[in-house]
Amino acid sequence: MIEELFFIEKQTYRKSIIHQLDARVKIIICFAVIVAMVATPYSPLVFPVAGTFALFFLVLWVLARLSPVVYAKRLVMILPFGLFIILVQVFVQNPYYTVFTPIADLPLGLHIYRESVEFATILLIKFLVCISFIILLSSTTKVQDLLEGAGRLGLPAEFTLTLGMMIRYVYVFGYMYRKINEALATRHFGPFDSRLPYRYRLRTLAYTIGTLFIRSYEQGERTYTAMLCRGYGRESHLYIRKKPVLWRDCAFLACGLAVAVCTPVIFWLSSIGLV
Amino acid sequence: MHIPDAFIPLTQAAVYWVIALVFIALSLRWARNEMREEKVPLVAVLAAGIFAIQAVNVPIPWGTSGHMMGAALAAIVLGSPFAAVFVLTLVLIVQGVLFGDGGITVMGANIINMGVVGGFVGFYSYKGLNAAIKNPYPAAFIAGWLSLVVAALVCAVEMAIAGTFPLELGLLSMGLYHAVIGVIEGGITAVALYLIYTARPDLLKSPAGVTA
Repeated sequence: MIEELFFIEKQTYRKSIIHQLDARVKIIICFAVIVAMVATPYSPLVFPVAGTFALFFLVLWVLARLSPVVYAKRLVMILPFGLFIILVQVFVQNPYYTVFTPIADLPLGLHIYRESVEFATILLIKFLVCISFIILLSSTTKVQDLLEGAGRLGLPAEFTLTLGMMIRYVYVFGYMYRKINEALATRHFGPFDSRLPYRYRLRTLAYTIGTLFIRSYEQGERTYTAMLCRGYGRESHLYIRKKPVLWRDCAFLACGLAVAVCTPVIFWLSSIGLV
Repeated sequence: MHIPDAFIPLTQAAVYWVIALVFIALSLRWARNEMREEKVPLVAVLAAGIFAIQAVNVPIPWGTSGHMMGAALAAIVLGSPFAAVFVLTLVLIVQGVLFGDGGITVMGANIINMGVVGGFVGFYSYKGLNAAIKNPYPAAFIAGWLSLVVAALVCAVEMAIAGTFPLELGLLSMGLYHAVIGVIEGGITAVALYLIYTARPDLLKSPAGVTA
C-alpha cells in the first residue's frame, strides 16, 4: 500500500476546479455521500440512490480531469477483502430477507439464492459508491490540505498535531521501505523466492520489520528532541491559519449537500408513494 | 480485516465509534501522562513506522501473502495496550481516508478490532505468559498470534451482528485464515522483539517498556 502513497500524492498536484476547492468542502461532501449511502437501507431503494451518486461522482471525476486509469488502479488496491465477503453472500442466507428462492444447486449442498444475489449486488453497489468518493477525495486534495481542512472543521488539536507528524513521516518511511526493498533485491533476496529456505526468509523479514521499528522509534526520538529545542511543550499545537470560504466553495457545498441529502429522501418518499 | 463502509449499518457503526472514542480518549491520556514528559510526537512518528511495517509482504507457505498488524509489537515495546490503540488509530485514519482501506463510518469498529482488541489481547497475554514461563520470546509469539486471531473473531462477530456475514461461517473462515496468518504475526513479533532487545535494550527497560 505504501508504494501507492507517491502515486496518490502525484494526482493531488494536478490543476482542476475540484482540486482548487476548499478541502473542507470536499471532506463534507464526500463524508455526507458516504453516510447517506450507508444510511440507505439494504433494499432495492439502493439502486436509484447509488445510480444518482455514481452520476454525481462521474461529473466530479470529469471536472477533476483525472484519468479513468487512476480510478481503476486505486480501486484494484482496495477491492479484495470487500469482494470476498460480497462473493460469499450469494451462497448464504441473511437476516434482511425472509424467503429465499434457490436459483442454482451446486455440489456440497450449496445453493445460490435469488435474494442473496440481490443482497450481494446491493452490498457491492454501496461499497463501490463509498470507496469511489474516498478515491475522489484523496486524489484531488493534498494530504496537508486535508489535515488543515479537518482542523478547521473542528478536529481536536491533539489529533491535528499527531496526524500531521505521522503523515509527514509516512513519506520518510515510504522512501525507507523502498530503499530496504532495493537493498534486499540487490542481494538476491526475494520474500517469495521458494529456492530460499522458508525460515530464512521469515527471519530476514522479521529483522527488516524490527529494523523499521527501531529506525522509526529513533527518528521519533530525534524529532521529539528537535521539537523540544524549538520550544515544543504540552500546550503546543499545529498552527492552522484562518481561511475564508469563497462564494464558489459555498455554492459547491450547497449543491453537493443537496445531492447527498435529497437523493435518498426523494427516492424513499417516491418508494412509499408520497412523491 | 479492514471492514469497508456499508458492511455495518449506520446505527451499529455509530455505537462502535462511541466505544472507540472512549478508548482513543484513554490512549491520549496515556500518551500525556504515562510516557515520560510529552512524548506524543514520538508515538506519532512510530505510527508512521508501523504503517510501513504493515506494508511488508510476508509469504505464507501455500503461496499467498499476509501483513503484520503490529498491535502486539507496539503494545509490548511501549509497555501499554493504549500504545497500540493510539498507534493503530492514527494508522487506520490514514489508511481509511487516503487509501480507502477500511471505511469511514466503520472506522470505530476497525479501531476496536485492531487497536483495542489487538493491543489489549497482545499486551496482557504477553505479560501473563512472560510471568509464567519466564521467556519473553515464546510469550511474544503467542501474544502476537492471539492478538490477530481474537481481533479477527471479534470482526466476524461484528459482521454477524450486522447481518452481512453468517456467524458460524465467519468464525470458521476468519478464525482459520487468521490462525495461519497469526503464526507470521507471532513469529515476527517474537523475532522483532529479540532484535529490538539486542539493538536497543534501553527501549524495553525504560519505564515506558516491559522488561524482556
